[in-house]
Formats: sequence, structure tokens, C-alpha cells
Amino acid sequence: MAPQARTRVIIGGGVAGYVAAIKAGQEGMKVTCIEKRGTLGGTCLNVGCIPSKSLLNNSHLYHQVLHDTKHRGIEVGDVKLNLKQLMKAKEQSVSGLTKGVEFLLKKNGVEYLKGTGSFQDEHTVKVQLNDGGETSVTGKNILIATGSEVTPFPGLEIDEKTVISSTGAIALEKVPKKMVVIGGGIIGLEMASVWSRLGSEVTVVEFLDQIGGPGMDTEIAKNIQKILKKQGINFKTGTKVVSGDKTDGSVKLNLDSAKGGKAESIDADVVLVAIGRRPYTGGLGLENIGMELDERGRVIIDSEYRTKIPHIRCIGDVTFGPMLAHKAEEEAVAVVEYIKKGYGHVNYGVIPAVMYTFPEVAWVGQSEQDLKKAGINYRVGTFPFSANSRAKTNLDTDGMVKMLADPETDRLLGVHIIGPNAGEMIAEGTLALEYGASCEDIARTCHAHPTLAEAFKEAAMATYSKAIHF
Amino acid sequence: MFTTKVLRQAAAHAERTPSIRFLGKRTIPASVDHSPQPHPASPTHSLPASFTSGSSHSTFSAYRDHAQQFGPLRKTIKADSGIGGNAGSQLGPVAPPKGVFFDRNDLPSRFHRQPLTAAEIEAIETGGAALYA
Repeated sequence: MAPQARTRVIIGGGVAGYVAAIKAGQEGMKVTCIEKRGTLGGTCLNVGCIPSKSLLNNSHLYHQVLHDTKHRGIEVGDVKLNLKQLMKAKEQSVSGLTKGVEFLLKKNGVEYLKGTGSFQDEHTVKVQLNDGGETSVTGKNILIATGSEVTPFPGLEIDEKTVISSTGAIALEKVPKKMVVIGGGIIGLEMASVWSRLGSEVTVVEFLDQIGGPGMDTEIAKNIQKILKKQGINFKTGTKVVSGDKTDGSVKLNLDSAKGGKAESIDADVVLVAIGRRPYTGGLGLENIGMELDERGRVIIDSEYRTKIPHIRCIGDVTFGPMLAHKAEEEAVAVVEYIKKGYGHVNYGVIPAVMYTFPEVAWVGQSEQDLKKAGINYRVGTFPFSANSRAKTNLDTDGMVKMLADPETDRLLGVHIIGPNAGEMIAEGTLALEYGASCEDIARTCHAHPTLAEAFKEAAMATYSKAIHF
Repeated sequence: MFTTKVLRQAAAHAERTPSIRFLGKRTIPASVDHSPQPHPASPTHSLPASFTSGSSHSTFSAYRDHAQQFGPLRKTIKADSGIGGNAGSQLGPVAPPKGVFFDRNDLPSRFHRQPLTAAEIEAIETGGAALYA
């Protein structure tokens, strides 16, 4: 059978792929989207951001009902955890959203092929259909959006029972007594929070001296570590995992300090490997088209997302930039605009990052260590939530807003927040940075009272002048 | 009124000018440079030679092997696949042999005469009068 000819073939139905498919459909292109998982939404919707947010939200409620009601004037009786139901609620959120995406594809006239796509040549993609059989499609433009996968830990085989990845961490059948998380980045800390709240004794082992992963401001990282420690999570920073022995239902990890000379061991019922993710191009047939990857396995692209074969473009986790769903989404819209209109826009200097612990941590722009490294002068302004009226009434006063600005022009350079709803609040900082606002612009913008957002305004005031309430 | 105006003018220099200003209706440049540039998030801030050498195809023929326009332009059409399988010059002379004439009806139907309707025949025979009868 002759391959179907399409204007656009998208390999991958994750956030990058499905958003590009919808946008291309809206622009009147004939689009085929190939996804092998069987459901759309990729890692984010199926085993990443979405299910973890369900567990984070509900485990926080459980933890709050257990430990944070009496002084609020609420007496609760016998509180029990129903892990099965907790997981069911998570699955309902996931299935509702993935089906919603499938509907959006249909609505925008996108053909959705459930199968594994691989390049046969520069224009033809062979699809091994999930239901059996094979087909192929040709595309005037082809988009690689195959995402990323968990980076394995050398010497510790992931079985998703005792040694788990983030995928296993959102589907444990019982609360482990002792859990060790290898990697103190965002994924590791979110999952550490979930299982610690549900009753596990959690230890986070991080190779670097600070938690939070790349990009988190050092002062903020220190603060959140203190807050999480107060919540019961143990930390071993500057520590490396040398080896691990899996025995009957438990794991013994041999640790050492990052510089060496402080060997120790730790036992766990479950070990979560959360040392990062790597680009996923397995089975894509890139060798058939001579596609180049860089030393980290990322597809090399230019500023318009073109690979060295110009009609094959690439976006999302599988190429340059931070592995974030919202970055992939921005790229998906931009790449379609480049094809259709000849111009697109993604500002890689203004991509927010959020860690959904409690309190949340969010940041956008440059951190203090970034600015120091680049030799850029800056002014700092902070405002603690303990001085914010709404945070005080909510009895959630942990955290602060920190702003960094140019001392000459007052232009905002970075925003770093620890606090309740920091993930929502960072949108204001992102908008201000995108528009090139000064701290005075933010401070002179009226913020409703009493809101947490007032802390944002007051931090801006503190940066160029003085905060009122602190 | 006049006093107010003067006061306002005098105070104009002291008014704050926000950094965020409305720039007016969005305009798109007439020409955009599409030559390959390094991706802003690329760690090396450079492109491999395969990008900067222009086309990834060394010859025009190699380009045609891969190019597409309403279907592949590749030289993979076999002789037994019909039209386009052989070059026109290989199909022999276009003129008929001596003493042989091509009939219009031997050609594909799109070259045939258009059939006349009864009304058209009637109109011709009556010198157009049938159109007004």
C-alpha cells in the first residue's frame, strides 16, 4: 500500500507532539500524530506532572488533617489512609485529561495513529501499529517530539517494586517503611514529600551540596531544605551512592561523601532513582536518515527547530533546553508558526520552574549564583510570607519572595519564591520579565488585599525602595 | 482651568514613565532571515558543519532524490509503472508514419469533441431563432 501523504507527521503524542498537532490542525494542515503509549499526553499526563500533582495534593490534605487541624479549631476523629482510593483518584484525573486531549485532536482534524513510528527515509515514517499490522505515512514536514526517559542508575536495576523510577513512585501498592531517594532534584523532592506525608521514613541522598536541582537559587534551596527537614524528610547532601545490594524485599545502599572518605550504608524498603531524565530516541530509526545527536543524546537543531534535514524539525525534551512540559508546549506552537508563517517566539531566558512541595518553590529568570558567575551587578529585595496578612490568616507563613534587579535600571532579572501557591504567583514574575518590567512597575501595580500576591508587590518595593509591612 | 493646565505641564517631568509601555499594533517584518542559526538553548552556541554548509545534498540530482512536491520527486518510478516511467524521447517520434493519420477519437477522451445537445443543434439549424421560440 502506498504511504499516506500528509502535510505534517508528528512522532510523539506527548505535550510537545499533541500541542503541535492541535496547532497545526488549527492552521489547516493535514496532520498525523503517532503515539505508541496508547494514550496521549506523554510522560507529563500519564506518569509525570499530572499524576504526581494528584498525589501531592491529596497527600497534603491527609497530612494536614492528621497534623494541622487542632490549632485551627477543628477536631477530627479517626483518620485513615485509603491508598487504593488515593491511587484511583489519581487515575481518574489522568484518564479524564488524556481522553480530553484525544477529543481535542479529533476536533482539530488530526489523524491519531496508535503505534511506534520510525524513519524509513527522510520523508517516510513506518508505523508499527499497536493493534498489529503496519502502515506508513509520508510528510512534507516531520516533527520529532519523542520526549525523554528516566536515566538509570548504574548498578541498580529498576524493577519498579523495590528499586523504582518516578513511574513506580506514583504507583506503589503500600507505603514503604523506609524510603531512600537518590537525587534531590524536583522529582525526587516531590515524591519524597508524598511518601513522607503518607508515613514513610524518607532520606534524600544528593550528590551536590544543595537540593533543588539546577537553576534553584542557593538561598532558596537552603530555606526549602530547612522547611522540608522540619516536615520530617532527612537529607544527605554532598553524598554519593557508591553501590546497592538488593536482597529479599529491601535494598542496602553504600554511600560515601562526594569527595570520598566517609563511607556509610543505609537500608531501605524502596529506593527511588531520581537522578534525571535523558532524551528518548530509541527505535526512531535516526540511523536511516543520518540524523546527528549531541554528546547527551539530544537531537541537534537550529533556532527554527530544524535538524540538519530542514523539513525534519524537533522540539521538547528530546532536544536542547530544560525538560519541562510548558517549555515543550511553547516550542510546539512556535514550530508550527515557523512552518506556516515564517516566525515564532520562545524566550528561553524566561521559562518558569516550579517544585510542587508544600510550600511550593517557583522561580524564573536568573538566580544569584547565575548573576555572580556572569559578573552582573544586582540588587536583592525580599519579603517573607510571615509578614503577609493572607499567609498569616491561612496559618501558612513559611517562605518568602525574593527579587533580583539591575541596580542601574531597576529592570527585573529574576524572581524566586518559596510559599503557598508559589507556582501560581510565578506567572506574574514571568510576565514582568517577558515584558522587561522594572521592580517599580510591579510595585506601582495595584494588588488586591488581602492576598498572597501582595508579598510579590512588597518584594518589588523592597528591591527598589523599602517594603511597607516589613 | 488655565491654572490647572499650567500646573499639569509643570508637573509633567515628574510623572513616572513605566518601563512597560504599549508598543502599538504588532507588525511583522516583511522579510525574515531563515538561514540556520544556533538554537538559543544550545550548550555549544554553534551548529555542526552539516547545518552551515547550506544544503545537506551535494548535487541537484541528490537533492531531487530526496525532495517532495505533491509526492516524491525521487527517481524510483519504474518503466512498468506507466506514465513517467520512461523519458519522452525514448517513446519514439510523435508524428504518425507516412500515410497514417491519427483520429481525434483515438486520443484520450479529454481531447474528443464536446458532444452537442439537441437544443444546441436546434439553435444552429434555426440560426439562433430556436432560442427565442
